[in-house]
Amino acid sequence: MSDPAAVIEAAPPRAARLPDSIWSVQAWRVGLIAVLLLAWELAAGRLFDDFWSSRPSEIAERIWQMAMSGELSRHTWATISEAGLGLFFGALIGTPLGIALARGPRVARVVDPVIMGLYGLPRVALAPLFILWFGIGLTAKVMMALSMVLFVFLLNAAEGVRGIDPDMIDLMRTMRAGRWYMLRRVWLPAIVPWLIASARIGVGLSLIGAVVGELIGANRGLGWYVNKSGGQIDTTGAFAGLVVLMVIAVIANQAIILVEGRLLKWRR
Amino acid sequence: MAPLDLAKNWGGAPSTTPKVALRDLHVAFTLADGGSLPAVGGVSLSVAPNEFVVLVGPSGCGKSTILRAIAGLVEPARGEVLVDGTSVAGPPEGVGFMFQKDTLLPWLTVGENISVGLELGGTPVADRPARMAALLSLLRLDEFGNHHPAQLSGGMRQRASLGRMLAYRPALMLMDEPFGALDALTKLAMGRELLRVWEAERRAILFVTHDIEEAVALADRVIVFSPRPARIVAEHRIDIPRPRDIRRLRTDPAFGALTQAIWTDLEGH
Repeated sequence: MSDPAAVIEAAPPRAARLPDSIWSVQAWRVGLIAVLLLAWELAAGRLFDDFWSSRPSEIAERIWQMAMSGELSRHTWATISEAGLGLFFGALIGTPLGIALARGPRVARVVDPVIMGLYGLPRVALAPLFILWFGIGLTAKVMMALSMVLFVFLLNAAEGVRGIDPDMIDLMRTMRAGRWYMLRRVWLPAIVPWLIASARIGVGLSLIGAVVGELIGANRGLGWYVNKSGGQIDTTGAFAGLVVLMVIAVIANQAIILVEGRLLKWRR
Repeated sequence: MAPLDLAKNWGGAPSTTPKVALRDLHVAFTLADGGSLPAVGGVSLSVAPNEFVVLVGPSGCGKSTILRAIAGLVEPARGEVLVDGTSVAGPPEGVGFMFQKDTLLPWLTVGENISVGLELGGTPVADRPARMAALLSLLRLDEFGNHHPAQLSGGMRQRASLGRMLAYRPALMLMDEPFGALDALTKLAMGRELLRVWEAERRAILFVTHDIEEAVALADRVIVFSPRPARIVAEHRIDIPRPRDIRRLRTDPAFGALTQAIWTDLEGH
């Protein structure tokens, strides 16, 4: 079976002098980020005009103000629910479709051009239509996020099922395992690594979907806030929105890594 | 040893019916270019409900295909496969299968893999823990019930695989070079364990190997096949008394004569 998560997990050999302990790695990470922020802070206003670049201290202050006024939670919550629901329903619809396609090769061959056509379509371009169809509320953004992640889950689930050892399936067949038993014991567990890999990619994609939806038509959300700030030539505001989006992506990714560690114990 | 109760009564035929009967079995595979490749070329064979039959033949001669046909995994091109007197269409009841590789479900522990056999074999929920414990101890896997297959050696994985098959309590065991990938010592130990289990409660076994000594050590009857497409070229009844001590057999003159005879049959084709 080819191995999606292995690609992500494969790290280059560690240089001998870098410390091994997980805490040291964390310390180095924090150190790197601190250095980058410090460089930005010092360079802003000296090497380039801080009107265009803002500076970390101002961005932090803005985020603090937004948190105090309740604006931060309102926009963050809006974007997270759009992206989260899109991701959830994308997985919920894409995964069974993927399994079904892998199990029915004849149907798969017929629908393949349709799927690849929709997959190849830049889904960002669907945003105006979705706003027309679903309005400027939550639904349009959820649909945007969903359209971004659906095919990732579908194609990965199908690939995962195709990668299962046929002898393993034959063996289960000789014991006359039923359809649901196979789904529970074989198909689903076999594609868990693929679903986790999909979720990792999906976090970023669903945020893109939600934000693009907010850029086109919305009255809240981090994308809307970035867009609005840009319109008012408020670079600090735009950066504040971007920073919060980045933090969401990082936290979501860490959460997935945690789940992965629990679900994929058997691979070690 | 406590009674193993290895095979449940799957119902059906009286014991006078052969467990397996092949009537002029032909199997062919369809090639990518539309042509057809004959794998089994007319095999007739009958296996009694408590008989240990070993199929030997050159690699790739179609022995495995015969097992797959009996398990209902491939369809005959011509002829017929009967299990318990009933023509096979799809996997029949009460058939256990074992491949050369372990085919354990890697996401389940050894215990959970054995549970698959218990569940699909219809063992009542209340009896499962006791049977699981009995099987783990029978296969000397007591301490490994919570390990995943990736943490075990090849021999232990095959033992777990055997455990899953026994948990299913098959009345017919189809074993396709089950110990073929193991080193000589482990192979010998696995053969001994299989005999120990089978001699305690006899069931029909069809066992494929290309190791002639293994064949003679285990079998009631050895069937020798030609190169592909498989046809029967000779048949040897192995009258070495049971229980057999596999390690001592090599010095037995009857053992030597039989392996020699089978070698000759194989080389003649």
